Amino acid sequence: MPGPHDHAKSWLTRIAALPRTGKVRILNVCGGHERTITHSGMRTALPDDIELIPGPGCPVCICPEEDIYDAIQLALNEDVMLVAFGDMLRVPVNVPKREPRSLEQAKAAGAGIQPIATPAAAAAIARAHPDRQVVFFAAGFETTMAPVAAMLAEGVPDNLSVLLSGRLTWPAVAMLLDSGEAAFDALVAPGHVATVMGADEWQFVPQQHGLPCAVAGFTPASLLAAFHSILGQLHRRQPALDNCYPESVTAGGNSLAKSVLARVMRVTDAKWRGIGMIPASGFTLQPAYSAHDARRRFISKTTAANNPAKEARKRIGEMPPGCDCAAVVLGKISPTQCALYGRACTPRDPVGPCMVSDEGACRIWWANGMRADATGRKPDIDAARA
Amino acid sequence: MCLAIPMQIRTIDGYIAIAYAKGIEREISLYLLQDRALAPGDFVLVHVGYAIQKVSTADAEASWNLYDEMQMLR
Ligand code: SF4
Ligand code: SF4
Repeated sequence: MPGPHDHAKSWLTRIAALPRTGKVRILNVCGGHERTITHSGMRTALPDDIELIPGPGCPVCICPEEDIYDAIQLALNEDVMLVAFGDMLRVPVNVPKREPRSLEQAKAAGAGIQPIATPAAAAAIARAHPDRQVVFFAAGFETTMAPVAAMLAEGVPDNLSVLLSGRLTWPAVAMLLDSGEAAFDALVAPGHVATVMGADEWQFVPQQHGLPCAVAGFTPASLLAAFHSILGQLHRRQPALDNCYPESVTAGGNSLAKSVLARVMRVTDAKWRGIGMIPASGFTLQPAYSAHDARRRFISKTTAANNPAKEARKRIGEMPPGCDCAAVVLGKISPTQCALYGRACTPRDPVGPCMVSDEGACRIWWANGMRADATGRKPDIDAARA
Repeated sequence: MCLAIPMQIRTIDGYIAIAYAKGIEREISLYLLQDRALAPGDFVLVHVGYAIQKVSTADAEASWNLYDEMQMLR
């Protein structure tokens, strides 16, 4: 049986054989995709006129600064045990130097904070500690929200509440396209989001915006198949939605998971860090589950009205000073174009969220040896972008 | 953050299964696939401890090879 790399090679050959249609900028919206692209050296292997742009592909990077701040304050000031996906622990917020600026630092300062790998662990911890309030700070995209919804639907003890910070991926792309500032010509849609939600969610890209779109999985072969499809669509001038991950993705997705999601959560306008409010892009708990809403249970007590310190906090909701993550997640600049990249900001000592998360574009580029040159630019990529 | 990894089901007890991937055995939830017929030996795509899709053996192997390589780098 041919290995994934044989497939990848043959896809590269097929792509090279396609008639060229000029420069093509392809946006991906999935940190998993960006990881495969960067790790496999796909940018150098593909013809020069194809530019691959990392987009808003990581729920850690775009998690509102306010939500992380609230989680930190909750863990520090209330008698709770706060659990969160491990990736969230190191994301920095904007606080004065002496205050803990991440959940990790709050933990070091004595707050009860524990990383978990699955929502099931949040419920298990709450059951094991019936006398304590357990708060699950749950950030993630649709793929992650379905399991969070499943946990709640299965029934959780009263002492568990959820600080929900879930987001939907497609509205961010729709917002970019509607803004008229989209710096891309085609889209690779996220395979695991589509596994749950269905490929059809992305129909608006070809239908409303006339851009080619293909759903891809996470092997180099699946991504290359998606690029091949996109280039063919461009050449034929027939933008469409193609599913290049049929092993896992169907048109309608996992309908049971979608119905569990809809039962537990509803869609609402929501903030994205560094970007602002995006209509209908976030999840909030349905009324039937609002008893488990940590915001109701705790946060309303510490709202700006009765907490002047919070009101006065500088740079609420923004990225840290000097950090270009907002432009990076919108695909407007590449990580190496941030002046802090590899200098003040490295995975060991991250300034912005994109350097913290395993799926943050800055972190992926750095981990794969992409270095900024003296001008802070990576010539082979930025030349095409200029 | 939400990469999904294929795992092979070993045993099933209600919505809970013991699944295996690359030397690791873990308890996973089948809640989001409760409408699908699943049996020990089947492969499922697991994200944060929840199976979100049933996949073929070949697809599972392709993904495992990929993750092996990625791990080497980290
Ligand atoms: S290099 Fe650091 S500071 Fe710059 S955009 Fe990336 S994460 Fe933000
Ligand atoms: S699988 Fe989902 S959460 Fe994970 S990187 Fe892709 S889009 Fe983001």
